[in-house]
Amino acid sequence: MGAALREWLLRAADDELIIGHRHSEWTGFGPDIESDVALSSIAQEEIGHARLFYEMVCRVDGAGDPDRLAFGRPPGEFRHAVLVERPNADWGTSLLRLFLYEHFDRARLEVAAQSTYRPLADLAGALRREEKYHLLFGEAWVRRLGAATEESGERMRAALAAVWPDAMDLVEGTEADALLAQSGALPQTPEALRRAWTEGVAVVLAESRLPVPEVAPAAEGLRGRRGQHTVDLDALLGEMTSVRRLDPQARW
Amino acid sequence: MSDHTHTEDPERLAEFEARVAAGEQVETGEWMPGEYRQEALRLIQMHANSEIMGAMPEREWIPRAPTLSRKMALTAKVQDEVGHAQLLYRVAETLGRSRVQMIADLIEGRSKFHNVFHYPAETWADVAVIQVFVDGAAMQTQGALRSSSYAPYARVMKRICYEEDFHIRLGLDVYRTLADGTPRQRAMLQDAITRWWVPLLHFFGMPDRVSPHTEKMLRWRLKVKSNEELRQQFLRKFVPIIQEAGFTVPDPALRWDEASQRYAYAEPDWEELKRVGRNQGPKSAERLALRQDYHRRHRWVREAVERWGLLAA
Repeated sequence: MGAALREWLLRAADDELIIGHRHSEWTGFGPDIESDVALSSIAQEEIGHARLFYEMVCRVDGAGDPDRLAFGRPPGEFRHAVLVERPNADWGTSLLRLFLYEHFDRARLEVAAQSTYRPLADLAGALRREEKYHLLFGEAWVRRLGAATEESGERMRAALAAVWPDAMDLVEGTEADALLAQSGALPQTPEALRRAWTEGVAVVLAESRLPVPEVAPAAEGLRGRRGQHTVDLDALLGEMTSVRRLDPQARW
Repeated sequence: MSDHTHTEDPERLAEFEARVAAGEQVETGEWMPGEYRQEALRLIQMHANSEIMGAMPEREWIPRAPTLSRKMALTAKVQDEVGHAQLLYRVAETLGRSRVQMIADLIEGRSKFHNVFHYPAETWADVAVIQVFVDGAAMQTQGALRSSSYAPYARVMKRICYEEDFHIRLGLDVYRTLADGTPRQRAMLQDAITRWWVPLLHFFGMPDRVSPHTEKMLRWRLKVKSNEELRQQFLRKFVPIIQEAGFTVPDPALRWDEASQRYAYAEPDWEELKRVGRNQGPKSAERLALRQDYHRRHRWVREAVERWGLLAA
């Protein structure tokens, strides 16, 4: 049980850290100052949430520290979805990814809020309040860019086709899920989570004139939940840990 | 907008100058000399530009910040600078130029930004030096401008100084962590201090000549203290931070003169400052090109936002 819970917590922590990292790369380069500032706040909150989840992992382990989990693991130990490790392409793609991720995160936190593991239920309840605004931000941008001009619509449809196969990886499960569902620690299966997520995003996408592409679930090799990642993660972690690796024993 | 080459009505001008001399402030929409408006706009526009360009050296280190809390703090810090640009462009707009125009002026190289943002941030220690010393230098100027005669600018300056003070504290934490760290961390910090020294002296501008223009700027309180006064104020506060941590200021001529209560220092190469002022600094072209590139890449987003505004209206 402990191992399955740990795995679930790492997924959440890694998702939040890696998407927060990607969002933070926009700081200073948004399409206008107001959106720049808003996305930057979201980035900070995601990284903050990652730290809270890493702290919980340390509690389950009975040792360790969040920075070591974030900066000291090889790529194969990360459990985030491949979707969040992809480099930022254009603003539209980043905001579409944000929207798809936030819908999933909302569904996930709803389940976590019912967890029999009390610290997780409490944390999920608190995080849902912040995440609500992230979702509103993402939805507003998807609606706007999907339907505003012919060019923005075309670009967003192309973006959706590009990210959709990766997005399937969000709702992939592992053996841990069955254990957690049985025990009541996280009373939902990946299939139910996938349904909740798909239904959630489909409505907004349809209203934004962005038809859901027809693709098979998770293309071969996209198994972030099992620690199988792309070279994009190698590059991301290579950069993210570069200062710390100068002297991993030093205080920074 | 009135043209400053026009001769102002001497009575109105005298009345305006008397008000400013008495410590009163000017609000948007009140009468002001054309030249005052133009100078205030130039000053505030350059300040706004500097905030947005000032985000660039530090943002490069967000993806590499070495702990989770440093990553959050640095993102928040750069976000504050972007937010300051928003506040300042809004103040500049009250003087008659649109933000769209000012952004175009900036990225096409027609307006200026502060010298320090034309230099590279080469290592993580540069983040510490920028947050402590560059922000510390800016604090001297901005602190003085809290009593600027242009009221909207003075108000925004109060808020900005409050946030900058917090940045300096955060910066000091990064600085002290490196200063108390390994020999390698200390060497990195010394290297950054050495590279930033001249740009920091340059920050306050050339020693003021007593020109009629400078006199007028001081009389109108668009400038509150002289360049040298601000530079000395900075040196008094920040040289000890370098020396007390056992680091060296790269100027053998630097010494405290008890009699005049001033630091003596070797004159930096002022030609370098002039080159930087013409956007010919080490990073000027690259950073402006990067801004232009993003501006182009966001064209379709701006068009969509504008169109959406029309659709929603």
